[in-house]
Amino acid sequence: MRARALIATVLLGLGGLVQADAAVNSDSAPRITGLRRLSESEYRNSIADIFGRDIEVQGRFEPDRRVGGLLAASSAILSITPAGLESYTKMADSIAAQIVDSKHRAGLVACTPKAGTAPDDACATQVISQYGLALYRRPLTQDELKGRVKLAGTIAASSGDFYTGLRYALGSMLAAPKFLFRVETAVPDGNGDWTLDGYGRAARLSFLFWDTTPDAALLDAARTGALNDPAGVAHQVDRLMGSPRLLTGMRAFYSDFLELDSFSGITKDASIYPKYSDLVADAAKEETLRTMIELTLNQKGDLRDLLITRKTYINRVLASIYDVPYNFDGEWVPYEFAQDSGRSGVLTQVTFLAMFSHPGRSSPTKRGVAFNDIFMCQPTPAPPADVNFDIVNDTHNPTLRTVRQRLLAHATSPVCASCHTHNDPIGLSLENFDSIGGYRTTENGVAIDASSALQGKSFVGAVGLGQALHDNPRFPACFARKMYAYGVGANAQEVPAKLTRETVDAFAKGGYRVPVLLKALAGSPQFFAAPPPQPAPATKTALNVAIN
Amino acid sequence: MALDRRFLLRGLFQGSAAMMALPLLDCFLDGNGQALAATGKAIPTRFGTFFWGCGLTKVLYLPKSTGAGYEDMPQMASLKPYKAKYNLLSGFRAFVDNKANYQHWSGNAAISTGNAPSSDQQFDGQTIDQTIADVIGHGTRFKSVEIACSGNKRESYSSLGGANINPPETSPTGLYTRLFGPGFQDPSKGDWKPDPQVMLQQSVLSVVADDRKQLMQSVGASDRARLDQYFTSVRELENTMAVELQRPELLAQVTIPGMPEGMTVNKSVPVLKKTTPVFARLLAIGLATNQAHVFNMALTEPANTMFMPGDSHVFHQATHEEAVDETLGYQPVTSKFSTYSMECFAELIKALDEIKEGDGTLLDHSLVLAYTDTSFAKLHAVDGIPMILAGSASGRLKTGLHVAGGSSTVTRVGLTAQIAMGLPVDHWGTGSNLTNKPITEIMV
Repeated sequence: MRARALIATVLLGLGGLVQADAAVNSDSAPRITGLRRLSESEYRNSIADIFGRDIEVQGRFEPDRRVGGLLAASSAILSITPAGLESYTKMADSIAAQIVDSKHRAGLVACTPKAGTAPDDACATQVISQYGLALYRRPLTQDELKGRVKLAGTIAASSGDFYTGLRYALGSMLAAPKFLFRVETAVPDGNGDWTLDGYGRAARLSFLFWDTTPDAALLDAARTGALNDPAGVAHQVDRLMGSPRLLTGMRAFYSDFLELDSFSGITKDASIYPKYSDLVADAAKEETLRTMIELTLNQKGDLRDLLITRKTYINRVLASIYDVPYNFDGEWVPYEFAQDSGRSGVLTQVTFLAMFSHPGRSSPTKRGVAFNDIFMCQPTPAPPADVNFDIVNDTHNPTLRTVRQRLLAHATSPVCASCHTHNDPIGLSLENFDSIGGYRTTENGVAIDASSALQGKSFVGAVGLGQALHDNPRFPACFARKMYAYGVGANAQEVPAKLTRETVDAFAKGGYRVPVLLKALAGSPQFFAAPPPQPAPATKTALNVAIN
Repeated sequence: MALDRRFLLRGLFQGSAAMMALPLLDCFLDGNGQALAATGKAIPTRFGTFFWGCGLTKVLYLPKSTGAGYEDMPQMASLKPYKAKYNLLSGFRAFVDNKANYQHWSGNAAISTGNAPSSDQQFDGQTIDQTIADVIGHGTRFKSVEIACSGNKRESYSSLGGANINPPETSPTGLYTRLFGPGFQDPSKGDWKPDPQVMLQQSVLSVVADDRKQLMQSVGASDRARLDQYFTSVRELENTMAVELQRPELLAQVTIPGMPEGMTVNKSVPVLKKTTPVFARLLAIGLATNQAHVFNMALTEPANTMFMPGDSHVFHQATHEEAVDETLGYQPVTSKFSTYSMECFAELIKALDEIKEGDGTLLDHSLVLAYTDTSFAKLHAVDGIPMILAGSASGRLKTGLHVAGGSSTVTRVGLTAQIAMGLPVDHWGTGSNLTNKPITEIMV
């Protein structure tokens, strides 16, 4: 009976709660110009920052996909499916239940209701406003607030528990599109273009620098209008960059840039590579991120050195793959490969070598394609549909015994050559490394030839490759372009060069130091530029038409 | 006080429906729950898809004769026990018209949406399972259930259109939890009560849905479509909750299993052969207990990276790199992977056929479209893509036949499936894939 009474009261109490804002859009009224689905890490970090790290977040996140080299770009094209919402709703309820449970209540519910057994609109208003601001990344509208307070009150009355009401009101915000998507609102900038409003700017900065929701200082800067002013932005950028949380933000970007998520989709053949396991994959990702953070942020080094540095970090499982002694205390230690180790730069770390190989053997082509895509922003078109690869496969061919010999034989066909001459030299110079990144000098009993040439320059092995690529300005320009695309949620391949030109110049002048790039990027008006509003369609647009 | 009419109607209707349904159902069910047919209430017909990448081996799967009694082919040996219960469909073609042949994508997307895709990895329109689920998927907890047998969360070929996919379950424990974890109501238990938590969640969703109008007012066209998708998901979830407030019906004599052990999930053939039957069995029980009427199971991605331990070639790689053996007339290593794929499909069919329902089996009350992305993967060919329709859709299709499509469009298969599932359609597809010709040879 209790359940029925409860639902009846909920039903009656909720009527007419929310009046949608009936603003009539004029040409200059604020418009939503961006809708970016939170990534898993953005979601998790937001919850931890708003409610504390001991709030557990357990559930399944919708998969993202790589667009123009970045998962972040898909946040601007993907939506939430029925199964996805089912999971988000369960997570929302679980989080809300933890907020009001006896363990967390005192710390997270800022007021005490007059009676715990009855509604208290004043206390509910206070809590819902506080978390509404944090979750929606802007203050709640009166309608949004009233709707939630009413829901809390109705359920509190019927259940006889203030906190039960609060739980469902909080849950309704955690499951709302305004939390699950970063809703970016733009306003006219006074010069005929559109630009993000203060709250949109706060979120863009926060998610780029810290991979999380804006903190109180950023939201305050948005509220006061400080973020509409370059000096105000610069002040916040300095603050964001001065925090150790910058490492979290850059780890997220580096993971996306280097496609480290690719590990989740690969398997290695355990009968050929018994050393490989999920532990190796996890450790390899950590190694690469530590290398990047150390070089670019701790040492404030030249980004291009990523291609030649022998300095890295290893743990026990990686020491086994790299075949170096592990006789250290502690889990991770800095390590410098010997000069004659053949290792040089991130291209010779387990991440790159293993992610872009087959389960049972190396692939110069995969590695070359990945390098050009990731580091040079030069994706390779799909091969012709009817291409014949027979010769590459015949590992028993009496004259073509190594991958190199077979690949070169195949790549002499003119239609294949255009891409292979572009990609293979990079991969062939990495042939000293097997499918999981182990070093080798022979294949099928024949010495591996790791000589190669790029744009007329000959070199040998990974060391030579790193040096050949180090001074190519395409790599830092590509890196800057992808950072811009990552920050604004765009397809990097479609970002016009003019939008990043000044930033790239500043990066070069600053010796390719990532902190210089970050500052230049966030300080450029293009970082907050918004597309002009699309004309509203006269009728409802069919999904399949609109998405194309 | 102004009442939110939508919310009130839904809540009251569902509440009262749930309460009224109890005595009615109680009188019609006998002790064993076998009386469904006797109550006059039809056993539902389910629809599912099974996708595998890189096709089959023509020499090994394609019979020379058509119609009934066609010759057994070695690549289909695992399906032999069910030969009378499925139709083999060969020779149908995916037309790409003036669009690119997106390798390993165009064939897949054309079969599932009726449209040759205009970009890689995107669907021009919703997939057929969702179209069918729009009609038959609403009396169940889940509109559809997706499974990625190889454990990759991106391997689902079910979509409402565009780049989004309906996310798959990626482990047997994940599938178990979805179907039989929180929210599941065991129909064999006598003490069923509506869960007040569900009602409260309904009120939460109602408030969430109220954001719609305000958001839609100030958003551009492409984001509007994405918001539409979000709010469609809200409606689907409301439906799920409505179902959870109804007394569960006992559809079949099945025992709800315990949570399966954690299993390794990847693309190694021995692993796939171990996990696929577990996925299939859980799915079949989920279908039999009305958790969903629609499912999609993907064995692998289209550019199939299934591999055999010890052999350094993955399936996809082998299709391109292995020579056609002139004596045999096919690629020996590649063809084995196609055979393994059919063996995994046979596990799904077996699981469906093992569950008795009314006077037949769950398979008899299902229609499963098994399809792939290419005919001859070496060349990414999309003419003659092999497909299978398994189950008779509760007697609406004849089975046991081999039909050769004569290079007519692959959408004839999808159109036939929709008609068999009771959808009021007389044509399907676009461009050269537009058809108004179902496969009459298999229609009753």
